Amino acid sequence: MYTDKKILSQKKTKIIAIMTNIMVILLFTFLLFNFWDIQIIKHHHFKLLSQKNIFREIEIKAPRGIIVDRNQTILAENKLDFSLFIFKENIKNLQETIEKAHLITGLDQQSIKNRMGKYEHSRASIRILLKKNLSLKEVVYIQSRALEFLEFEIEIEPTRTYPFQQHASHILGYVSEISSMELKLNENQNYKPGDEIGKSGIEKQYEHFIRGKKGTQVVIKDSFGRIQKQVSEKKPEIGSKIILTIDIELQKYIEDILKPHKGCIGVVELPSGEILSLVSKPNFNPEKFTTLIETKDWNTLINDPEKPLHNKFTQGLYSPGSVFKIVMALGGLQEKIITHSTRTFCSGSTWIYNRTFHCWTSFGHGLMNLTDALKNSCNIYFYTLGKKMDINTIDKYARLLGLGKKTRIGLPNEKSGLVPSPAWKASQLNQKWFPGETISVSIGGGLLNVTPAQILQLISTVALKGNLPQLHLIRGIENRGKIIGKFQPRFNKIPVEKKYFDAVIRGLFKVVNDNGTGRAAAVPGLDICGKTGTQQIISKENPDYRRLRKLKRFTPHSWFASFAPRNNPRYAVVVFVEHGGDAGEVAAPIAARIYKKLFQP
Amino acid sequence: MKNFWKYFDKLTFIVLITTTVFGIFLIYSASYTTDTSYFNKQIAWFAISLICFFLVFKIKTETLFRWRLTIFIVLLACLSILLLAGIITSGVRSWFRIGFMSIQFSEFIKIPLALIIAKIMAKNRLITLKPFLKIILAIAIPFGMIMLQPDLGTAFILTAFFMVLVFLKRIKFSILLVTILLMIGGSFLAWNYILKPYQKNRIISFMNPEKYSRSTGYQSIQSKIAIGSGGLVGKGYLKGSQSQYKFLPTRHTDFVVAVLGEELGFTGISFLFFLFFILFYRQFNIRTQTDEEFYFVYLFNGLILFQFSINVLMSIGLLPILGIPLPFVSYGGSSLLAFFIGEAIIFKIKINAYINEF
Repeated sequence: MYTDKKILSQKKTKIIAIMTNIMVILLFTFLLFNFWDIQIIKHHHFKLLSQKNIFREIEIKAPRGIIVDRNQTILAENKLDFSLFIFKENIKNLQETIEKAHLITGLDQQSIKNRMGKYEHSRASIRILLKKNLSLKEVVYIQSRALEFLEFEIEIEPTRTYPFQQHASHILGYVSEISSMELKLNENQNYKPGDEIGKSGIEKQYEHFIRGKKGTQVVIKDSFGRIQKQVSEKKPEIGSKIILTIDIELQKYIEDILKPHKGCIGVVELPSGEILSLVSKPNFNPEKFTTLIETKDWNTLINDPEKPLHNKFTQGLYSPGSVFKIVMALGGLQEKIITHSTRTFCSGSTWIYNRTFHCWTSFGHGLMNLTDALKNSCNIYFYTLGKKMDINTIDKYARLLGLGKKTRIGLPNEKSGLVPSPAWKASQLNQKWFPGETISVSIGGGLLNVTPAQILQLISTVALKGNLPQLHLIRGIENRGKIIGKFQPRFNKIPVEKKYFDAVIRGLFKVVNDNGTGRAAAVPGLDICGKTGTQQIISKENPDYRRLRKLKRFTPHSWFASFAPRNNPRYAVVVFVEHGGDAGEVAAPIAARIYKKLFQP
Repeated sequence: MKNFWKYFDKLTFIVLITTTVFGIFLIYSASYTTDTSYFNKQIAWFAISLICFFLVFKIKTETLFRWRLTIFIVLLACLSILLLAGIITSGVRSWFRIGFMSIQFSEFIKIPLALIIAKIMAKNRLITLKPFLKIILAIAIPFGMIMLQPDLGTAFILTAFFMVLVFLKRIKFSILLVTILLMIGGSFLAWNYILKPYQKNRIISFMNPEKYSRSTGYQSIQSKIAIGSGGLVGKGYLKGSQSQYKFLPTRHTDFVVAVLGEELGFTGISFLFFLFFILFYRQFNIRTQTDEEFYFVYLFNGLILFQFSINVLMSIGLLPILGIPLPFVSYGGSSLLAFFIGEAIIFKIKINAYINEF
C-alpha cells in the first residue's frame, strides 16, 4: 500500500499551503475591491443604466378638437382605429422586419423602407407608425404571432374623420404626417416625427388650438422589447372645438350646383361678414390623407392637373373683368371726375392713345350715363373714365376697396392679388408704364388680378355702403365647454361718400332687374343687385378669335358679384366659373338658384 | 466509525450545503418566470449529489487510485459514443438523456484525470519529458473531445490541472520553454482554424464591450449593469430588473453572480465570497497520508478555484465570456454531482490522515 516513497516533507507542504493561502487572499481582496468599485462607487451610474434598460416613455396621441358648422353639425371628428407601429429598438434585422411588415400590411417593401429611412437618426426607443386603419383580419394576424413579431405593436388611436367627406374640403383642409420641414418650423412645440399636423384649411390655420395636448405613458419593457407593465400614465387632452360660420346644408347645395363646372362660390351673411359657404371645385376627400402611405390616392391628388387641393376662392388669381367697373365708378364719383349723370357716347369702339379699343358689342350702346354704363357693362364709358382718372387714382381706390391685399378670411396661404401701378411695374418688372395699360385696367384687365374672396369683400362693401366687413370663417373656439375665443364683426370705413354707393347700387340693381347683363340672376320678389364680368382669355383682335373661343381653355371666365336685398342687404354672393363663358348666361343663373335657397321661407 | 464522525469536516460540509442551497435560490430567481423545471431539477440533482457523496465515502482512496485508468477510459468511451452519434445525426450533443435528467459526461472526466495526474506527480520528483508527456496526453485527449462537442468552457477548465502542475512541481526548464512556445503556436492555430466565429466574437468583444454593446459585448455590459445597480443591499430577492426582465443572458448558469449582485447587492456577494473563502481555506490547509492524495487535493481544489475565478471575473467584464458556470451555485446537475464526488474524496483523504495517526 505504501509503495510510493514520500517525496514531500511536512515543511514543504506547509510552504505550499502558505503560498496558496496568500494567493487565495490576494484573489478575494482583488475581487472584493472590484465589486466594491462597481456596486458602491459606480452604483449610481449603473443604476441609471439599468433604469434606462426597462423604462420607456410612450407618447399618447391627443385627439384633435372637433370642427362644427354654425348649427353644431359635426364636420370633422375622430374615430378610434387600429394603428400598426414598429418599435425601432426591437428591430433585429431591418430587411427581415421590412419583409414581415410587407407580409402583414401588403404595403410594398420600397415604401416601407423609405418610411423606416426617415427615422434612421431618431433615438432608438421611438415608435414608427407604419399603417393606420388596420383591418380586423390584420389585427388578429399580428396578435396571434406576437412572439414572432416582437418589433410590431398595435395601438388604438384616434384618427381624423370627416363625416361629409369631400364637402367643405377647402374650408376644413386636411391633416397628415408632419414633414421634416414643418418639424423645423415648429421647433419647441413638442412635435415629433410621425405626428399629425394640419396641412391646409382650418386644420392648418387653427392647428395650435385643434391639436390638443399629448399624453405620456411610462411602461416597463423586457429585453425583447415586450411591454411588461405600465408604471404611470398622463392622459392626453383633446384639442379645442372650432365653431365655423359655415352652414353645411347650404354648402352641400351649392357644391351640387357648381358640380358640372370648375370655379368657386362664396356666400357671406351681411352685415356680420360670416361666410356661410365657400365652395371651390374640383375639391378632394380629406380622409385620403389620414391614411399613411396610400401612395396611389395621394399621388393622384397631388399630381392631378386640375389641382383639387387648390382653393380657388382664396388662392386663385384672376382678372376681375367688368366687376372692376364698380371700383372705377366709385373712384370717379368720389374724385368728382364724373357725376351720376355724366354721359359718354359708345359707338362700339374708341380711339385712345393711338389704338382702337372695343366695347363688347360692336353695335355700340349709344349715349350712356353711369347707371346705364353699369347695367350694360359698357367698356367705352369706363375707358374714357379711366383715361381721365389715370392709373394712380385707379390704384388708390382699388386698394381702398381691399384689392391687392389679403382679406384675412382665416385660411392659410391666401393670395394678395395684384393692383399694378407705374411704381410697381418699375420696381418689379423694371419696365415703363404704357398709357394703354391704364385703359385695360379700367375694365378689369391688364396686369390686375384678384382673388374671388377680394371680390366678395368688395361687393359686401358696396352693399354696406362703405363699410368693408372683415370676412371670417369661425364664430368661436371652445375648450372643454368654455369659450376661449369669439369673433366680433369688424368693419373698415371706406372714405367714399354714401351717395356715391347709392349711385352705383342703382346701376347694379338695373344689371339684374332692368334687362341688364345679369338679368338671368333675377328672382321674382327679391331685389338682387349684381355685376357680371366676362373675362376674355384671348384678345378679340386675335385673327383666330372665333375658332379659339370655342376651345374650353380659351373660353372666358365668368364672374357674378351680387348682394340682396337692395335695402338692408342680408347676403352677398360671388360666383366665379372658370372658362364658363358668358357671365350673364353661366354665373348669373347660378346666383339666382343660391338666392332662392337663401330666401326660402 | 466513531473516529469517522469525529474527523469528518462538518464546517466545510455545512459550507458546501449552504452554497448549493444558496445557488438553488438564485436559480429560482433567475428562471421562475420562464421555466420552473431548472429549480426542480437542481433540487433533484442536489439530493442525488448528497447520496453519491456518502456512497463515495464508502470507497477506499487506494481503490479509486487503482481504478483511475478504467474510470477514465469508460468516460472517454461514453464521450466518443456521444461524438459519433452526433456526427451521424449531424447534431452534436454533449449529454445523455435519462428520464427528465440529462447527464453531461464531460463534467465527470476531471475526477479520474485528477487521480491520474496526482499519481504521476507523486511518482516523479522532477518532471522529466516522459511523465510530462503522459500528463499532457491525459489532459489533451478529453480536452480535444470536449472541444469537438464543442464546449469551449468545460474543455478550458481542464487547463487548471496544468497550472497546478507548474505551481507544485519542478519541471525541466527546457520542457517548460518548449511548452510555452507550443501553446503560443497552438492558440494561433486555434484562432485561425478551430475557433468558431461566435467564439472569436466573444473574445474580440471582450476587448471592447461598448463598441459591441448591441451584439456580443451586450452580455458583458448587461451583467455589469446588473451587479452595479444592485448597490450595497440589492434590489431585493426576485426584484432585480436586469434578471426579471431578461436583460441578463444565461442567468441560471454563467451569470448567476450577476443575479446575486443585483438582487442582494454587495452584501450578497460578500456572503458568497465568504463561503468560498472558508471552503478554500479548509480544503487547502490539510495534512495527507500520501503524496498522491496531497496532489489530488490541490489539483481538484485548484480546478474549483480556477473555475470560480473565471466565472466571477467574467461577470464583471474582466474576462471574456467563456460559458463557465460557478461551482456549486450555477444550474447544472452533472457539474454539481462531479464536484460533490470530488469533495467526497477530499473529505475522505482528510479523515485518512487522522485515522492513520491513531
